[in-house]
Amino acid sequence: MRLFRLTLATIFQRKAWVICALAVIIMPFALPLVSSATEKPILVQPARILAAWGTLWTCTLMWGLYTAAKEGEKNAKSGIGEYFQTTGVSPTRQLFEIWLAVFCFVAPLAIITGLITQFGATPALADERAMWWTLNIQYVSLFLLVIGPLLALATALASRFGGIAGFTITLLITLYGLYGVGYVEHMLQVEENPLLRGLWVYSPHYSFADLTQRLLFKRGSLPTDGFWNMTLYFTGILAVYVGLSRLTFRAKVSA
Amino acid sequence: MNKQASIHLDSGLEIGYGSPLAKFGDAVKLTSGTHFLLARNGRGKTTLLRTLAGTLKPVAGSFRAEGYLQYLPEDLNFDSEITPAMIFKMLLPKDRVKEAVELATRIELDVKKPYGRLSTGNRRKTALIMAEFSVRPDTGNILLLDEPFSGLDAFARQAFEEIWKKSASNVLRLVSCHPDYDAMEMPNALMIEGNTARHLDEPGQTWSCLKALMN
Repeated sequence: MRLFRLTLATIFQRKAWVICALAVIIMPFALPLVSSATEKPILVQPARILAAWGTLWTCTLMWGLYTAAKEGEKNAKSGIGEYFQTTGVSPTRQLFEIWLAVFCFVAPLAIITGLITQFGATPALADERAMWWTLNIQYVSLFLLVIGPLLALATALASRFGGIAGFTITLLITLYGLYGVGYVEHMLQVEENPLLRGLWVYSPHYSFADLTQRLLFKRGSLPTDGFWNMTLYFTGILAVYVGLSRLTFRAKVSA
Repeated sequence: MNKQASIHLDSGLEIGYGSPLAKFGDAVKLTSGTHFLLARNGRGKTTLLRTLAGTLKPVAGSFRAEGYLQYLPEDLNFDSEITPAMIFKMLLPKDRVKEAVELATRIELDVKKPYGRLSTGNRRKTALIMAEFSVRPDTGNILLLDEPFSGLDAFARQAFEEIWKKSASNVLRLVSCHPDYDAMEMPNALMIEGNTARHLDEPGQTWSCLKALMN
């Protein structure tokens, strides 16, 4: 795990993660103070939930994907990937070790956000409180299941096409999955179109993993069947992305 | 475990990027110790090292490398923010970190300075220390070093040559370089002249006599 340790130390040393960590910890408490929640105390908790998860998504998409892409590009271009390959660390292993290092920074951010929602925005009613833990765990799990493969894809694409391509493509895929798919669905409701239907079916429905509205309106945890179906769905996407990432990843720039 | 490292280059081995750059007329066997790889610019030194490292396919023929292999590319670079001390801590076995830092101090490499602020020579020292101290004591090792001396001062170079002498029994080093003084001893050399590569191991061989063959 030498490459993992080196990547972990490199990200740690760059210190940009500190900004994300501070943002994830401070924003959920600071942003409600500058919102309309100050006039209506009842809105403080929803505002905190919105700020917490909004900050997490933003930090992960901007910093997480960027870091993953940068590490992938650097590994291929700096000769480090080639060095490790000659010592017996296969490209698959390299991709895994780089991914794991980035994931080690992203996962705690998600867990912190989950904990802030759990303890900093707990519903007052007992029955709502009962489902709060489950919903938070479900959200953190789905979030990590969505982000994990995207980090790998960013690393792999950047190793072949450069950091800008790796970051931009994965960012656009995520934004499309979170918001764009909804627009496609709207268009289908207005007028059925087989091409559009095909696009919608094969699109990554990341909005399913965004449970912010569910937390905001205290709709309760996902039914067990629904949660496992979603887990299975995102695991399928994970499998596709893992395959794509491995095909795309390269440990060194071609001669 | 076998502590002897070796490289067998079969007769007819051709190296290059698609089209052949150099060919071995005779089979060559390299064993533990230091072997210099000599050729003029663009004749295939890096290509041969990459081929032996397994990151480039030979155009024709075959070879066999036995031992724990490390190829240190000439352009290996670490992140500009990380320090040599952290690099050693992350990449070297725990029991060798102290030794590595001691050598770094002796050859005037500031291990606390970010890599991006190190001079070319000090960056080279960092990579070389990392590779040298990653050598496995319990097995045969192959170290393929691409221009390790470029940018390195004479004092540091001497320090590394001492390490090479000490570990000559279980490390096979193939070192590509452009020697800078005629009296430099090169008892073992792989030389690429024109399109032909061959092994020269005459006793008392120096850069002066090998240089004459290259021209």
